[in-house]
Formats: sequence, structure tokens, C-alpha cells
Amino acid sequence: MADEPIRYYKPRADFKLDITDIQNFVYDMSRCIKCKGCTWVDHTYMPGAKFMTRCPSATKYEFDAYGAYGKMRIGHAMAEGLLGWNEKALEVMYACTLCGACDVGCKRNLDLEIGLTLESLRVKAVQDGVGPLPAHKKLAENIAKTHNMYGAPHEKRTAWVTKGIAPDKKADVLYFVGCTASYVNKEIAQSTAKILKAAGTKFMLMPDEWCCGNTPFSVGLYDEAKALAQRNVEEVRKTGAKTLLLSCAEGYRMWKVDYPKLLNISTADLGFEVVHLVAYADEKIKSGALKMKKPFETRLTYHDSCSLSRLSDPWTPYEGKRGWMGCVEPRLKRRRGTQGLYMQPRDILKSIPGVNLVEMPRTRENAFCCGAGRGVQEAYPDFAKWAAAQRLEEVREVGAEALVSSCPWCKNNFAQAVKASGGDVQVLDISEVICASIEG
Amino acid sequence: MAISKEIYKALEAVVGSEYISDDPVICEAYRSGPGGYENGLGYERVMTRIPGCVIMPKTTEDVQRIVKICYRNEIPYVPYSTGFYGPRSHPHIEDALLIDLKRMNDFVLDEKHFYVEVGPGMIYSPIQEECMRHGAYVVIGGGGAQASAIANLIGDGWSPLSHRICLPHRRILGTELVMPDGELLKLGSLATGDDPFWGEGPGPDLRGLLRGYTGVRGCLGIVTRMAIKTLPFQPERLVPTGISPNTALALPEKRVKWVNFIMQSKETQVKAMREIGRAEIGGAVTKVPLFWRAIAKAECKEEFWDIWGKENEQTVANFFIVRVLLIGYTSEEQMEYDERVLMDIMGELGGQARRTKPSDESWIKNADSAGMWLMCGGYVSVDYVIETLTQSTEHGPSYAEVKKQYTPPLMPDYGDPGWFQSFELGHEGYSEFLVYWDQDDDTNKVDQFYLDTSKMNIKNRYYTSLLGPHQPMYLTGPKYGPNYHEFMLKVKNEFDPKWRCHPPVPLAHDVFVERAPWMHYMKDWESPEDLPK
Repeated sequence: MADEPIRYYKPRADFKLDITDIQNFVYDMSRCIKCKGCTWVDHTYMPGAKFMTRCPSATKYEFDAYGAYGKMRIGHAMAEGLLGWNEKALEVMYACTLCGACDVGCKRNLDLEIGLTLESLRVKAVQDGVGPLPAHKKLAENIAKTHNMYGAPHEKRTAWVTKGIAPDKKADVLYFVGCTASYVNKEIAQSTAKILKAAGTKFMLMPDEWCCGNTPFSVGLYDEAKALAQRNVEEVRKTGAKTLLLSCAEGYRMWKVDYPKLLNISTADLGFEVVHLVAYADEKIKSGALKMKKPFETRLTYHDSCSLSRLSDPWTPYEGKRGWMGCVEPRLKRRRGTQGLYMQPRDILKSIPGVNLVEMPRTRENAFCCGAGRGVQEAYPDFAKWAAAQRLEEVREVGAEALVSSCPWCKNNFAQAVKASGGDVQVLDISEVICASIEG
Repeated sequence: MAISKEIYKALEAVVGSEYISDDPVICEAYRSGPGGYENGLGYERVMTRIPGCVIMPKTTEDVQRIVKICYRNEIPYVPYSTGFYGPRSHPHIEDALLIDLKRMNDFVLDEKHFYVEVGPGMIYSPIQEECMRHGAYVVIGGGGAQASAIANLIGDGWSPLSHRICLPHRRILGTELVMPDGELLKLGSLATGDDPFWGEGPGPDLRGLLRGYTGVRGCLGIVTRMAIKTLPFQPERLVPTGISPNTALALPEKRVKWVNFIMQSKETQVKAMREIGRAEIGGAVTKVPLFWRAIAKAECKEEFWDIWGKENEQTVANFFIVRVLLIGYTSEEQMEYDERVLMDIMGELGGQARRTKPSDESWIKNADSAGMWLMCGGYVSVDYVIETLTQSTEHGPSYAEVKKQYTPPLMPDYGDPGWFQSFELGHEGYSEFLVYWDQDDDTNKVDQFYLDTSKMNIKNRYYTSLLGPHQPMYLTGPKYGPNYHEFMLKVKNEFDPKWRCHPPVPLAHDVFVERAPWMHYMKDWESPEDLPK
């Protein structure tokens, strides 16, 4: 009798989770079965005949090519040299928010590395000399010249620091503000600073904060993103900060997941802890250090920003062998999006007097991306607006007066969509809601 | 013949430029493999082609116009709903038009008459959610919650819930079918009005065209609308819980409950199923392969092999589980009664109830078929059989014997005899045999195994459901007919004389054997000279 497991074959192929070589993901592309778990809402949570999908790209463009199941076939043909780039291929690869819905959907059953494959295909586009798109190149130029994606004067980066906000020179907590909260949505940075103060937490800023590189990384400009990662991580290490706090979900993902990925280290090896405001505030509220006093009489709903939820599991480099039946050695702990900050923002909102929190049909790992991130807003603004409008339909469906998120990208995109539609839904960042309650 | 610019323009005029494309990148995404059902097998490699053009209609009228253009211009076309069914639902010849029906996802629920009306783009899980909100339910077929309900009901359409909710063809009501020449055929009560509440008549019941040997895979037309019968469910909400991948429906235990029993022998296992059916209790009664439990327990494929590697022929041979789903359709009291009856039956037969989670991970709303690819990467259900409970249990060991000869490359399953269960309160028995492999291995033996199972069925005189669509018709037709293949071809020729709708189905597997050299040594039957080579 076979007490030892039966094995027919020996391990045979080296691979690593390195997105600079698409060959690392040929296995994943070749095993897609078109179950479309990447696209449908998890069937257990399927809300009905409306709001059935969680992939913005597949939902808008509809041809199979735009779903991860189509991209896997296209990418596989490209990796095998059977298909080349053309205009349509670039649209297929870049009209996608890399929101991670496909990745967690696939890992419900098949454990294929869909998210990394999509990132790798964009790196390949750049390596092949066809990517990124002109709008992305402009943004990258802005970052190179002014250290922010808007091309705004670098010296204005701390203009959000107004009266009553006093960062310390030295503190254990370093608040990395990010481009958008520094230049566009200053209210988020200001609210965050006030929350920190209310909780009695001293914080400092980076002596010279630069863009986190989210968009360059997302569009395949690997080298540029890596240079920013090296520079920024080194700068934070020099400050001696123990905690890096962010109020931007995209920035949170960059620091927690993609910097380690770019630097080939584990998240734990960064030398400091990466924390988003919602995790921080939730802890402070639960410990009593932060008190929600002023009622916020609103029926509101919460939008899970992708980078704070399904994309935010920590990173660990991996090199191994793939062998019999596709099994890998050593054991790979796959990132399935289970460590996202799902409950914390909801607990925060529930702790605010007067808040009536209602859930949209698609929540948490099934949430429908706002459409702004990962280079989409720059290159496909109509798609970004369309995705936000889809989400706002859900807001209306549950009769919410306000839509709250934890990322300036989401806030901006939703706010623009509300303005364009003439709706009356209030769009808020969670920092503003917390701030409104503690200031009572 | 390639689709000319003129024909492309004509097709574009039907749907608009946004919904048609012959871009090679768009078409590549409709490649059958390399992953998916029957992935890496000869059939996929030899028989499937990338479409020459893809079109996405929105209405039945769109489909009719598209089909008429194809028929007039001799363009081969293939209807395509979700693409999950692997190579059989993909183009088999060059330059075919793929008609992607996903935009046709209309949904209407008729609460009063207990049916839903759907288009071919509508999948099962939303239907189930809408039904359950209205006190009804449907069977989500083993094809999975992501399957097109229409496609699944045409091809298969069953699950453990078929113990109670009846066979799929009984649930197909009024149906609309665009024939291969573009004519619209309305079945059931749709033939005389716009209410699809009834499936039979007036006139001949042509639902047999859709199901069974030849209708599947779209070779006799395209279903654009179907009413599906629903059945009464209990009223309490089944609440979704957990974060993916560990999601489940929390069950209201006084109204819905799974109970797993371990039996002492196959005889008592089958007898328990029969007695439960006779007592007319339960919403599902099934035996599942032992390795499905390993799939459910494993966090990843490597862990699956750790768990499965601890099993052996003896543990598999002695695994006699009966899973029972109890549903208090009418009341808690009815549920209590059913449970007492169940316990009496099991008490008499020596069944031991095991602790069972008060949740449903798969079957009620999420038939988790995609999990079948976890451990090996390659999978096919090589046979489905609806016969008797007795036959189900005899058939399984025969399969296990044939499997042994082809393992490897088939996954080592230690002689597992497959899945079997009660259908229609035990009046029928259902069995299904599943095989798994790694597509990077030499899969020729899997192709040969497939054909060998057909010969095994013929030898042992087992009826099976996949004789026509998945086996050479000139092998099976004379043995089971004695001439059913000739009738099937007459039907095809009558409805589709130009053979434009998904050619060369229903002769596709015959053609495959001709084209695949590694299959030739097995060919001991006669087929016509003019079979496409």
C-alpha cells in the first residue's frame, strides 16, 4: 500500500515571482480555464441579476479579450512568440485598473498569479518598446522633473500644512502624504494630521517627499519605479521612523507590497511598518485614544479601495521549482487578498454617532473598482468615468447620501462622476468623516 | 471561406462597430486552450481554431440577421455563451464566425407562475439569488454557478439537488431557437403567445432537438431565450459569510442543513439513498469522491497532494459517505419530521452521522466546478450516466479498472469509483466519472482512455450520456442504435443542410480520430470515406 505519496515526475522548472520576465507566468497563463471567476462576483455573494461582475474592464469592453481570461490567452500567445503587439493589444493591456478582482477571484479555486501576470505583461510592453502610452510617459516626465505626477512646483508640496498643523521634526510616525493629498485633495492630508493630533500621536513628514511611483510602476516603467522605491525607502530609513503612515490606498500598496517587490525584499524587511490611516484610527478608537463625539447624521456607504483591500497582502519574494502537477517547491504562501483592511473602516464608521452605514451590493473583495487607478485615468479617462458611474449606481441602489472611501484617487474620480451626472451624492474620504466627528 | 469585407460590413450593420471585431488580438482571446475543459488534449489541439471574427448580438433579431448572413454566404459560425465548456464549444474550422452571446443576459422572474426567463448570457448564481429572494430555487448544474443556464440546461443541468428538483429537460419551458438558416422556432407555449409558462406543445415537443446527442454545442441552432421552471424553497435567508477563498452560505439550521453519514458498505450506502428517496425527504442525497473532500480541505494544490497522498486503495475502497441536504420547505416542523425519518433510516442501516458544518460551500448557490482543476490543471468528466442507483455503483468500478491502465498520465486516484447520487427521489441513479491530468505531460493516453471508455460501455452494455457529442458516432451509433447515427445525421441535414452551424459537429469526434495519428490503432469500426480528414 502506498504510504508514501505517489509522484510520477521530478520537479523540473525554476521560476520566481519576478515580473520582469513574462516566462515566469507562462504556467499561470496556460492554466486559465475561462471559469471567469476573475470577472463574476464570488458566486456565494452574487447579489442578483444586477451588479454581477467585479471586473470593470471586462464589463465595459465585453469582448473576452478584456477579461483576465482573454488577457491570459493573449499574453500566453505573446510569450510564446505567436502574437505581437498592436494598438488593440495595448488597449487590452492598459484599459485595466489592475484592481486585483481577477486575482482574488482566481485564487478562490485555481491559485493562478493573475495580478502579477498582468503587471508583467505591462513590463513586457515597455521592454518591447511599445509601452507605456503617451499619457503615461507625460506623467513619468512630470515625476522626473518635479517629483510629483502633476508637474506642480516641488516647493509647493507641503502647502497643505496650514495653521494648526505642526508636524514634528522627529517622531516615530512618519506621514507620507502622497502627490494627490499634497496638491489636489489637501483636505485629506489636513484631516489626517488633525486625527493624529487628536489621538496624541506625534508625527513627522519626509524631509523631502517625492512621488511614490505608483503610476510608473503600474504602467510597466519598472526601472523608474525601482529607482523611486530605492530612494524613498532609504530616505525613510534615514529618519529612523518606526511607522510609515499613509492616507492614500495606492501609496499604501506601493510601500507595503510593490516597493518590497521592486527591491526583492519582504515587507517585513523594509525596516519600518507600513500602516494606513484606517488601521491606525480603528486601533485608536478601540483603545479609547480617539473618541468619536460629534454625530454625523448620514446614511452612507463605504467603497473598498482596491489597494487597501484585496491588493494589500504583504509581499515575500519567491524562487522555487514547479514540478509534478504544477506543484511548487518550496511551499508558496499565495497572496489572496485575505489580509485587506475590510472591517476596520466599517468599524470606524459604525463608531460614529448618527452614521447609518449601508452596504452596496458589491463589497470587500468583490467591490467594483472606481476606475481611476494604475494608469487608467490618464490614458482612458472615459473608461475611468464610466467605472465610477457604475459604482454610483450601486450607491443610488442602496439609497446612500454619502459615499466614503479611503483613497484620494477614488474620491476624485467619484466626485467628478457625481458632478458630471448632476447627482447629489456627497463624496468623502474617511479621514474627513473621522475628523468631522472628533472635532465636535 | 474567409469573411470578406462586404460580409463584415453587413454583420457590422447588425450590431454596430463596437460589437464586432476581426482583430487578431480580440480573436486570440477566444482560443479554446491551452487551459480549460479537456485542456491540452488532442481534441483541443487538433480540432479547435481561433475564430476569424467575433460578433456580439444583443437581441434575438440580431442573431437571426447574423445567422441569415452566414447562411447566405456560407460562413461557418459557432454560438458561444461563456466559453467554459472547452474545445467542444469553440470553432473547429478556419475563419469561423464566433457569435458571443454574453450581451444577451436578460432576466425576468415570474413570481406568480414560478419560472424565470433568461437569455444565453445569463449565468446561474444570479438566477439562484433572485429565485431565493422570492421563495424559489433552481438547480445550479455541476457545470458551475458561472455556466450559462441555457447552455447548461441544453447539455447537462443537474447536481445533487436533482434528488428533489427533477431532471433538466423537465424544467425547460417555453423556448426560442434561431434555426441554422435564421428562421425563428418557438417551442412550448411561446408558439402561441408571449407567455413561456409551458414547455410541452402545442405540436411536437422539439426540446429533444436541443438536448441529447446532436443539439448540444449549437449544431442545430442557437437558443436565444428560455423559460426555466423554478420550485418552491423555504423562506429564510442563506447568508453569505467569509472572505474569498473561504466563502460559504450560513444555513438557517431549522430550515436547511447538510448531514454527512458514514456508512459501513456500498450496499448500505445505496440502500440509504433508496430509502431516503422512498420516504420522499431531503433536498439532495449524494456520494462524492473522496478527493473532493481533499480539495475542500486544502488551502492550495500542494496541500491537496499532502492530504491526498495519505490515502490508498483501501481507504478509498472503504469510503462510503452519504451526504444529505435537509430542507424544511414548508415549515420547521416538516424539517424536524424529515430529520427524524432520516435518522431512523440511518439507524437501521448503521449510518453514523458526522459533525457537519452549518454552511453550504458548494451546490446551493455556488457549484464550484472550477475547483476541479486545482490539483492537476487538466480535467474532464469523461462520462455522465442517468440510470438506476444499482447501475451507478456497478459502472464506477468498471471505470476505475480502465483508468488504472492509463494512470499515469491520469492522476493517481487509488481506484476511486467516481460520484454517484439519487435523482428524482431515488427513481434514477446518477453517476459521473472524472479524470485529471497535467497538460504538460504526454496526453495522448488520455485521448485513448476517452475512447476506451466508449468501448468499455459498449462491451458492458452501459448506457451513457456522452455517446453522441463526445465519442465517434460511427463507433457508438451501430452499437446502440443499431443506426441512431444515421438518424442524427438526417436530423442535421434536414435542419442545417449546408452544415454551417458549428461544423463538423456532430461528427467532430469521428473527424478527430481520423486526424490524430495516435488514435488510429484503436479504430476498429467503419466510417464513411467522405468524412472530413
